[in-house]
Amino acid sequence: MYQCKDITEEVNNYIEGDVPLTKRIGLFFHFLMCSCCRNYLQQIRSTISIVTTSQPKEKDSTDLKALAQQLQGLCDKHDH
Amino acid sequence: MKKKSNSLFEDERTLILKLIDGDQSAFEYVVSEYHNIMLSIARAIVGDAFADEVVQEAWISAIKALPKFEQRSKLKTWLLHIVSNGAKSRVRRENRMVSLDEGWESVPADKFDHTGHRIDNVSPWEEGTPEALLANDQLQSIIEHSFQQLPALQRAALTMYDMEGIKMDEICNILDVSASNVRVLLHRARTTLHHSIDKYQDNK
Repeated sequence: MYQCKDITEEVNNYIEGDVPLTKRIGLFFHFLMCSCCRNYLQQIRSTISIVTTSQPKEKDSTDLKALAQQLQGLCDKHDH
Repeated sequence: MKKKSNSLFEDERTLILKLIDGDQSAFEYVVSEYHNIMLSIARAIVGDAFADEVVQEAWISAIKALPKFEQRSKLKTWLLHIVSNGAKSRVRRENRMVSLDEGWESVPADKFDHTGHRIDNVSPWEEGTPEALLANDQLQSIIEHSFQQLPALQRAALTMYDMEGIKMDEICNILDVSASNVRVLLHRARTTLHHSIDKYQDNK
């Protein structure tokens, strides 16, 4: 029998389908019985959607335009 | 979910030819599309101190090798492997190790009773599409901040798997970690971001 604590450890594997069938069934029954864990599962799914849509980036102070110009310059050197 | 590509360069073959021809807009496009994820991978493998240098070297190697690129993989995958290989060589030279456990905090134990049952009440979040929820600037900046506080390996795994849709075996090759470790990294990253979004939902 799975407990709420197990759900927090396995929720992402459950979402990804990375758990053996017997465990999956056990977790599924826990979700049926426990509204807190159902809500938690839904929140983790929403987290993935929100993060995927939000597309947070690495902090980066690179001048991308200057880098593009520098790389473009390498091609000019090849040509001549 | 995959990002929309620039309509000018939907055909990757055309993009590559333009790069070889030295087309300015093609260079601006690839740098704006791929520099950030290359930096993410370099930071995950070699750490902050050498990441910028590794990415710079990777770009130069890639552009020099571009005329010989046979397009057996996507340009993005090829670039990610170049930066990954550069970072791994740098790790060997610097003898640096990055720990998977860096900065990890699990769900606090005081959320469960002695039998492992939750003692807090988990309520559903406000409903709405991610786009609608993200129309709120505060949530967007909470996610950005929380993401940037994650350890570099977690950021790289999350970026590649959840944001770029890169396959698990490819991520394992790029980061040189096992699939079970990538799953651990994803779990930790998502859990941390969930905490941040949950706090925001509670405080509304």
